[in-house]
Amino acid sequence: MKKLLTLFSLFAVCFSQAQTKSIDSTAVYILDKMADIIGSLESVKFDINTATDKLDHDGNLSTYYAMSHIAMTGPDKFTSTTTGDSGNFGYWYDGEYVSYYSLSENNYVTLEAPDTILTMIDSMHTAFDFKFPAADFFYPSFTDDLIEDFNTISYEGQRSIDGEKCFYITATNNEKHIQLWITSNTTMLPKRLIIVYKKEGNLQFETNFNNWELNPNIPETIYNFTPPPHASLISIMAKS
Amino acid sequence: MKLILNSIKYFSATALIVILSLGTTENLNAQRLKHPVSRGGNTSMAHKPASRPVSRPTSANRKVTTPTNRGGSINGGHTKVVNRNNLPNRNTNNKTTINRNKPTTNNNNKQVINRNKPTNNNNNKQVINRNKNTSNVKTVNRRPGNTGGGHNNININNSHNNININVNNNHHNHRNTYVRHSHSHYSRPPYIFGGFRFYCHRPYFYHPYRPYYWGPHWHPWGYFVTTLATTAIIVAIIDDSNDNNEEYHYDNGTYYLKTEDGFEAVQAPIGAQVPSIPTEAEKVTVNETNNYYYGGAFYEQNADGYIVVPATAGTIVPNLPEGGEEVKIGDQTFVQFGDTYYQPIQVDGKDMYEIVDVLEDE
Repeated sequence: MKKLLTLFSLFAVCFSQAQTKSIDSTAVYILDKMADIIGSLESVKFDINTATDKLDHDGNLSTYYAMSHIAMTGPDKFTSTTTGDSGNFGYWYDGEYVSYYSLSENNYVTLEAPDTILTMIDSMHTAFDFKFPAADFFYPSFTDDLIEDFNTISYEGQRSIDGEKCFYITATNNEKHIQLWITSNTTMLPKRLIIVYKKEGNLQFETNFNNWELNPNIPETIYNFTPPPHASLISIMAKS
Repeated sequence: MKLILNSIKYFSATALIVILSLGTTENLNAQRLKHPVSRGGNTSMAHKPASRPVSRPTSANRKVTTPTNRGGSINGGHTKVVNRNNLPNRNTNNKTTINRNKPTTNNNNKQVINRNKPTNNNNNKQVINRNKNTSNVKTVNRRPGNTGGGHNNININNSHNNININVNNNHHNHRNTYVRHSHSHYSRPPYIFGGFRFYCHRPYFYHPYRPYYWGPHWHPWGYFVTTLATTAIIVAIIDDSNDNNEEYHYDNGTYYLKTEDGFEAVQAPIGAQVPSIPTEAEKVTVNETNNYYYGGAFYEQNADGYIVVPATAGTIVPNLPEGGEEVKIGDQTFVQFGDTYYQPIQVDGKDMYEIVDVLEDE
């Protein structure tokens, strides 16, 4: 009797979890392939164009555009420079220090950092709310995270962006609906990501990826930050 | 009956064990999507949230793929922990059948980098300055009246212990830098960061912090003199909650504390009653009453002259004295004096500051 009850309880818990998911194996295969390729890179360069919806203080929607150039060399070199409506700024991470420099304000923050790109991104985001453009795709558990976080993931066929054939994947949970375009050529890299925030008035965030360079030879000095003349080193507030 | 009760107990205990075995994964909403932190690269970060539990739900055909030789990959290689078996295949035009059971010898196509390779151009090798100046890391003081909260130093990486203090941390100045909340309505939504709401009447408009000097008589905090002018007076402190019987001296807008060797200029102590203030003092409107502002201190006029009062949220001042520091709070940069935050603003084309009303989220 006890054994039966144990088995029943285990079955009930597992079944209740499995019931809510609808994960398409084709979509997972494409995402896995993309993540495999990204995970095998030792260096990468690419550009992104972002459009971020925000509500102004009157409650009206404003869209902020930005363009970023990003370069990484594994496992501990990262830099990005962003120009856009929310200001011009950059990040430099050389394995020891991470610096954030605001071109708009001519001030910078330099902090000692953990020793890999991902732990640095996690740490800086957790402590200071730093947002690194397009970081999501570089988490080694990207597909797993989508599977765990979204109730539905489905492959919807092929779509074209700028004449380029892409796999079109959608994922939905209670808070977000995401659309992913992944190029259907041999490299299978992200081409476009759109996130709709359902609980925030359907505000959208869109990223378009361009100019991918896989395993380029990047000089390490570009990851070292040298403060420009008259730039001020300022303090930073941690999220407590 | 007893059997039913035992069965219920057994069922509850089993269910609890199962739920616990599923783990309490703390998801970090890094960037735009959720990524449990401990999966990302190695685990040397100081601000590491709760680790991903080792005990994950298991299934009979779980295939765990963990890359080895994590040398030069930008993210350590793709990891697959979640079970890929038994996923439904949608009927799509481009359906692909995947053999998930094929043996793989190199799951991540990883190349091993020889990290000891000789470099041909050692002459131009850049030496990293290990004594690099780093930013002072601060937290918002959660306890009203606690006068040390603005100077909590946090180190991001436990392998280093570099604390950089670049401000005057004279403890005498902390007790004078709290803010009276404003009763006026804020039409602008607050700026939200780290569980706090920063209220301002005017929009953020950055301009660099440049300490202001109020003429030849005024001296910044930390200024030291061996003797004071004969015009200096000993200040009476009204309603002083501080138990220290410190003797403040006042001379033409500057306050001094007596030390062993002489006198050190400090911030105006709240409650100090003085007969007069310098003519350079400016009128500022606080809650529809006029105050006077000089040398970073606010004064109210009374029958005996002027009394130093705390800063009030919403007050706009044209200049700030030495002793503050610029602090990046999320996307904005404020100037902080102890527990008082000044937001850079612009009024009729002139650079000014508004005192921020900081409230903790309920």
